Amino acid sequence: MRPLGPSADLRRKFELLFELVLRDLRIRYMRSYLGIGWSLLNPLSQIAIFSFLFRQVMPLDIPSYTAFVFCGVLSWTWFSSSLISSAGAVVASPELIRRPGFPVTVLPTLSVITNMVQFLLALPLLLLLTVVDGGRLGAALLALPLVMATQYVLTLSLCFPVAALNVRFRDTQHVVGLVMMALFYMTPIFYSVDAVPEEYLFLYEMNPMVTVVDAYRDILIRNEAPDLGALLVVLLLSIPIALLGRALFLRESARFAEEL
Amino acid sequence: MHGSLRVSQLGKRYRVVGSKGQRTLRDLVRSGFRRTPAEYVWGLRDVSFEVEPGRTVGVVGRNGAGKSSLLRLIAGVGRPDEGSVEIHGRTGAVLDIGAGLTDDLTGRENMMLAGLVAGMSRREVQARAAEIIAFAELEDAIDAPLRTYSTGMKMRLAFSVAIHVDPDILLIDEVLAVGDATFQRKCLARINEIKASGRTIFFVSHDASLVRALCDDVLYLRKGRVVAFGPTTDVMPVYEAAGTEAGNGAEASDVPDRLLPGGRTLRQGINRFGTLEAEITAVRILRLDGAPTGSITAGAGLMVEIDYAARASLDGIVAAIAIKLPNGTSCFDTNTQVSHMELPVGGTGSVRLRIERLDLVAGDYTVAVGLYDPDWKGAYDSHYNVYGFNVIGVRSTEGVLNPPARWELTTRTEGPVRYSGTG
Repeated sequence: MRPLGPSADLRRKFELLFELVLRDLRIRYMRSYLGIGWSLLNPLSQIAIFSFLFRQVMPLDIPSYTAFVFCGVLSWTWFSSSLISSAGAVVASPELIRRPGFPVTVLPTLSVITNMVQFLLALPLLLLLTVVDGGRLGAALLALPLVMATQYVLTLSLCFPVAALNVRFRDTQHVVGLVMMALFYMTPIFYSVDAVPEEYLFLYEMNPMVTVVDAYRDILIRNEAPDLGALLVVLLLSIPIALLGRALFLRESARFAEEL
Repeated sequence: MHGSLRVSQLGKRYRVVGSKGQRTLRDLVRSGFRRTPAEYVWGLRDVSFEVEPGRTVGVVGRNGAGKSSLLRLIAGVGRPDEGSVEIHGRTGAVLDIGAGLTDDLTGRENMMLAGLVAGMSRREVQARAAEIIAFAELEDAIDAPLRTYSTGMKMRLAFSVAIHVDPDILLIDEVLAVGDATFQRKCLARINEIKASGRTIFFVSHDASLVRALCDDVLYLRKGRVVAFGPTTDVMPVYEAAGTEAGNGAEASDVPDRLLPGGRTLRQGINRFGTLEAEITAVRILRLDGAPTGSITAGAGLMVEIDYAARASLDGIVAAIAIKLPNGTSCFDTNTQVSHMELPVGGTGSVRLRIERLDLVAGDYTVAVGLYDPDWKGAYDSHYNVYGFNVIGVRSTEGVLNPPARWELTTRTEGPVRYSGTG
């Protein structure tokens, strides 16, 4: 490769990432009538179902329940969709992997960012719904970037090993799907962690997504500062795991081209 | 130096499909998480060569010889299991072309993406967009979705992007086979332009005439190993001789090596080619008085003697002898057919070429000898780059010939003769 300076190299990765995110979004919505509207309709339909179930059929008695569920569903969708798509990230892009000098670390990152864009697109709707549903918005919104950054690093730290592992063991994608399904119920998305019996609370304390989902709700519904201590623990633990995952991914990447 | 390339002891192995390497989680669990040794085959081994900037190198060899593997390793796709590739400058590659384009995007969007993937920046792609589109002849279709393109249009777009990346080293893998003849000619013209601008080009092709036309050097691979690397005129005859050998079926490994008196080894597929229906059993280089020799003085004569054995079933054989420069250029090439000499078959014999004067300049020469069928359909036994001699004498300047010659001067001036520098 031409000896690129670190800044030129980073710039190239950024441009490439940008164009690939655009590609993914275009492909996803280009030939559909609703286009980008689908990225709103999917969570909205989930929210409608949950609202019906847990407001009418089995009332859970959670204030601003619609906004509460929306918060959970949106951040969860970002997390789980990223992981599921990262499992296929390398396997589905042999043509990119085989390009000389293609920066492979872009692929897992792409999974996280594309799904983050979906999250961002739905965010205004969430804010609107919060206001309509009696939630409170205010200064706490300033903490939103920190929560998103935490979720970003946390998700990325898991996407690297998942993407690398799936090249060797295609079982990985099925395992990830299964784990995500289980975690969906084991994370307070449509219920409140307050309802969990004390003897099972340790299960929730080990789950970093509990902290993240909780932080979104503090900010977007209760207009309270999130639990910064808990967030920082998640963030600071995620950073070394992300670096480790990236190193593992790079080590494995040497064999990608021939495994595909 | 930008554009130079050094490959040393390069090796790449591949796992044998169906061997005991772990592929699924189930295999891993079944084996009790112990590593079972997988079986490997070497796709490339002991490959070493160096390329100076600005050279155009053709890579030839039969399918599975490791040409594409080599190109991928040079391109930095995958990691070698042995040895190293050292590159100075940016590589651009036209490998498995057409892949990497997205059907649902427009031509323009694909162009941007392909350019970025190939290593250009956004600005570079935008600056060259008009040129890329014009070369691909897609002015009218560039904003239509790619799925409306024909295969040829996609190929032209991909090739056009790849060729506008402006690399120091351009790798081209057997892509010119696609596209219509007009576009192929255009691609070749463009490759020639790139070549003229002093870039290094690596070119894989089955088309011998294309390799001859484009390449300065040729790397001939066989079963993952280098058979020959050198000037095109030197290596292509070896490759083409091997081609006839392949057609006639004698496999390299079937024929034992033969150690020659001079200490060199004669090895099928390396410096010996042919079906061996007729066999060269010995070759001697002799002075005109019949004494074996390794060198002659300039202007002296030389004899080349071939002992052979030929099966009675053959229609006939032709013996051919060529005297070549170290780079493969023929100085002198003759055979028994042009002299209307018939060689008997069904037994052994000796045939000798007597060259009364060999007016070659001082230097090293090789002698290629071969037995061929009378219709020149293939070689029975051809020894290439094995025998040699040198010519001793005063080295004249450029050129190959050194016939008896002297300068004679006649002057037609009036008055005293003036020599420059003395007056």
